[in-house]
Parts: sequence; structure tokens; C-alpha cells
Amino acid sequence: MSELSRRDFLKMARDGLLYLSCALTLKGLLRFLDFQPDPAPPTSFDLGPASSFPVGSRTVLSNIPAILIHTESGFSALSLVCTHLGCTVETKDDGFACPCHGSLYARDGSLRQGPAAQPLTALRIEKNVADNLILHTIV
Amino acid sequence: MRKLIVLASGFLLLALALAGWMNSRQPQALAVIPSMTGQPEYCLTCHADLPEISSSHPLKIFGCVLCHGGERLALDADLAHSSMRGGKNPSDLAVVEQSCGGGKCHSGTATDNLDHIQRVMTSIQSTYAGAIANIRFTFGAQPDLTARFSIQVVTDNQVTTKTGLPSLKAFNPAQEANPLIQKFGQECLTCHINATPRDGMQFARLTGCAACHTPALNSFAKGQVHHLTTVISYSQCNTCHNRGNYDLRSMSFVERSDQLTDRLHDYYQPIAQFTRCEYTLDCVDCHTRSEAMGDGDLHSSKKDIQYIQCKTCHGTLTELPQTHTITEADRLAFKLAFLNPVVQLKVGDTVLLTEKGEPLWNTRVLADGTYEMIGKVTNQKFNFRPVKGTTCKQKVDQQGSQYCHQCHSVQR
Repeated sequence: MSELSRRDFLKMARDGLLYLSCALTLKGLLRFLDFQPDPAPPTSFDLGPASSFPVGSRTVLSNIPAILIHTESGFSALSLVCTHLGCTVETKDDGFACPCHGSLYARDGSLRQGPAAQPLTALRIEKNVADNLILHTIV
Repeated sequence: MRKLIVLASGFLLLALALAGWMNSRQPQALAVIPSMTGQPEYCLTCHADLPEISSSHPLKIFGCVLCHGGERLALDADLAHSSMRGGKNPSDLAVVEQSCGGGKCHSGTATDNLDHIQRVMTSIQSTYAGAIANIRFTFGAQPDLTARFSIQVVTDNQVTTKTGLPSLKAFNPAQEANPLIQKFGQECLTCHINATPRDGMQFARLTGCAACHTPALNSFAKGQVHHLTTVISYSQCNTCHNRGNYDLRSMSFVERSDQLTDRLHDYYQPIAQFTRCEYTLDCVDCHTRSEAMGDGDLHSSKKDIQYIQCKTCHGTLTELPQTHTITEADRLAFKLAFLNPVVQLKVGDTVLLTEKGEPLWNTRVLADGTYEMIGKVTNQKFNFRPVKGTTCKQKVDQQGSQYCHQCHSVQR
């Protein structure tokens, strides 16, 4: 095995430095180009079979947040986001109360007491072909 | 050329190594996207241990930057803090409009009871107009006690009371001819809520809204003062009140020197006369928001704005105190009861009423004709009777507290 000359060693070191810096730069560039922003929050939710929600039920869907109401006249849903500043309202026997600034809503979402000026937002609900309930948060 | 390439590569590697090292020293970035702004902010990266400031200001709704300012995307502390409002206190009155204002927040309309900032800016607590007018009158700089000056220029475009003033000029002690008034300006302007307080634990408070609404400053660990409340103990009021007296001969503040052993001895300074209810209750139990935070008008004296008297709760020999039955329309009473839920206020509750028609929502008229007050700080129930029908001999036209104190003052 021949000995590595001083000249060859320096050449290898130089080339190595060059390739390493190119590789690291490329890695940084790829990382930059590969950046994935957080996905937009979902606006449609599959709530499962409609039969899971019997007539007379009021089901809080805290992950949305919303409440699914099933009456004799069908399904309806209300957003549980206070129309004042956006806090999540709490369900009470006589309706909904905002823990942040005290707005009160009746059981049907209508406004009973401010500071909110609007009722709770009604959300669109529909059944898909599999008879699952789909809730849409974009009205 | 080859040398240049080697050199450039070396620099590039060095820069990459430096960037990697700095990146490894950075804390894991923690973002919050408050719903009111919809913009990410990274303050929690360093401040995740801070408690939420109040239930009315939840982090996920307000975030940090809306109130505090600052550079929301910065991970470097100096850069992040570089544009903060009011330092650590965004409620300082110099910046309160930017921090806490807005039509939906604290500079809305009086009708919506959202005119907090307007009321505070014009209040005696902020203008200190009464003290300034008193000193200037005492030393001959003005012919009467009507206020002309405030700590800062302030105007009121909507005067609603008889004693309200349209504007006050900024008090400048250097322009006063009398050296004692000049000294007053230097020594005695520490008790308004724009001012940094005097040194000492007993004076410890913040400025602006937080002067009152961030009580018990000494109870927080360093760097953990992050609290707003309407539960304000007398001890917070006492960071300005009852701490001593001004000596007009030397124009200096003389601190009280008595031992503050318990509430009876702590509340008022030794020269004060007071009744049992005055030291067992907290100031906010009786004194209304208008008295404490102002009614939106500029007044010359505390007397113009302080109207709660003994008779507000006890009536006189000939009249029972005014009462009011709560209806849906009493929005303010419900709001105040919501903010400090020591009572479950309901439509149909009968409560005492101030002479300005404000329901004292923490009181109740009981079935046996007596009354009950629930302490807003202590949650303690206090039962009391009307004067009417008792053996009290007080003249009906003498309703100042000094007359009640003649028989009912507490001895220490």
C-alpha cells in the first residue's frame, strides 16, 4: 500500500470540506423547502350513526365545540363558541353560560344576556349515505 | 481560485456549525394562536409557567401580545420584549388605551358599562385633583377649592354631574411661586395610580388598573405577578389609604408608626374613628365602582364622588334604606355578581340601593326586615338592622358618619 503524500492528503481534505459544506447546505435547503405548516383545522366532523343520538338527547361535542340536539323535528346543532369574544360556553340546565364575561343563552341558543350581542351560531348538520351525521362548522 | 473555494467552504461550515449551536441552545418553541388575533405568538416558549391572568382573559382567546405588545414571533428575550407596552404592566395609564382599550373591551360606551378607561382616567385616583386643589388653595395659589390641575392634562367631553369639570391642566410644581407647593409636587405625589409608590412593603402596588386589580403584590413569587381580580381586600386600598399623614409644615409624608397586629388595628390609623362594620367589611363591600373608579366626570374632591353613607344600608329614624327588586334589566348588577360570584344573583332578589340608584348586589333584604351583606372578599355574611324602630336618637338631618361615630365608634 503506497503512502499518502502530503499533497494528496491536503487535496482530500479540501475536497472533503467542499463536499461536506455542499451536503450541509443542501440539507438545510431541503429542510426549508420541506416545511409543512400546521394543517387548517377541520370544518366537517363525522359524528357517527344518527341512531346513536336518540330523540330528546343533547350531546356536547367538546372537541368541536358544539352541541347536537335531537328533537321530534329533527337534528340541529349549535356552536358552543360565545359570540362575544370566542370563549367556549358551558351548558346549564336553562341554557348556556359563558365563563369569561357572563353572556347567557337560552337552550335554543338565543341570547338572554350580554355582553354578547348575537345568539349562538347554528351549525349545519346532514346525513351521509352511510346514515352518519356530518356536522359542518362553516355555515 | 481554489484557495477561495476552500476559504468559502470553511466559512460556510463555520457558519453552519454556529447556527446549529445557537439553534441547540434555543428552547423548544411553543406557539399559541389566540382566537382574537388568529396570529401565532411564541411568548409561551419562556412563559408557559405563568398562570392565566383571570378567567375573563383566557390565553386561548387573548394570547399575550394583544395586551402586552411585544414581538410575537421572536424567540430572543430582548427582541421579544423590545416593543412591550408599559414594561411588565400594560395597564399603566400611559399605555392603557392601547393595551386594554377597544369598543368591546374597556373603552366602550357608558351604556354598555364598558367605559372603564374613561372613568379611571378622569377619576380622583388618577387626577389627584382634590389634593392639588387643596394645597394650592391652602397656600393661596387659588381662590377656592375647585380643581384646576391634574397629574396630567385631561378633558371630559360629556360632563354629566353638577360637580363635573370640563378639563384640568397638567400640574407643574416648577411653575408654582410658593416653595411649599413646589415641595408638595416633589414629595407628595406618590398616592395616585399613575405614580410609582413609595418604598416599603406596605406601599407595594403597581400602577394603572393593576394598582387595585392586582392586589397582594407581596404574595407572588418574583416574576409570577400575573393576576387581575375584582376581589380587592382593604389591604390593597391601604397601599395608598390609611398609611400615614401629610405634615403641611414640612410638606412631607409621616408614616403611621403603630403596630399592625390585626385587622382592627391594621385597617385605620390611630387617629381614625370608625364603627364595627367599617373595619370588619372591606372597602369594596360598600363603596361602589363609581366611587372607586370614577363616574366619568372630573371632580374637584373625593367628597364630590363619595356618596355611600351609613344611611345607605341602615336608613334613618324615619325612613328605611332604599331597596330594589332585581329584574332582567339590571345588567350591571348581574355583571358585577358574575365577576365576583359571592352571591347567586337572581331576578326577584330584593337588595339595597344607593342614592344614585345602583343596586348593592351583594346585599339582601331578609324576610324578618333585617338585611344581609355578603363580603366580596371574605364571603362572610353580615346581618344588620335598620335604624328605624330602634332607640337611636340621631337627628334625621345629621347623617354624616361623625354623628354615628358618637355612639358606635370602636375603641382600640
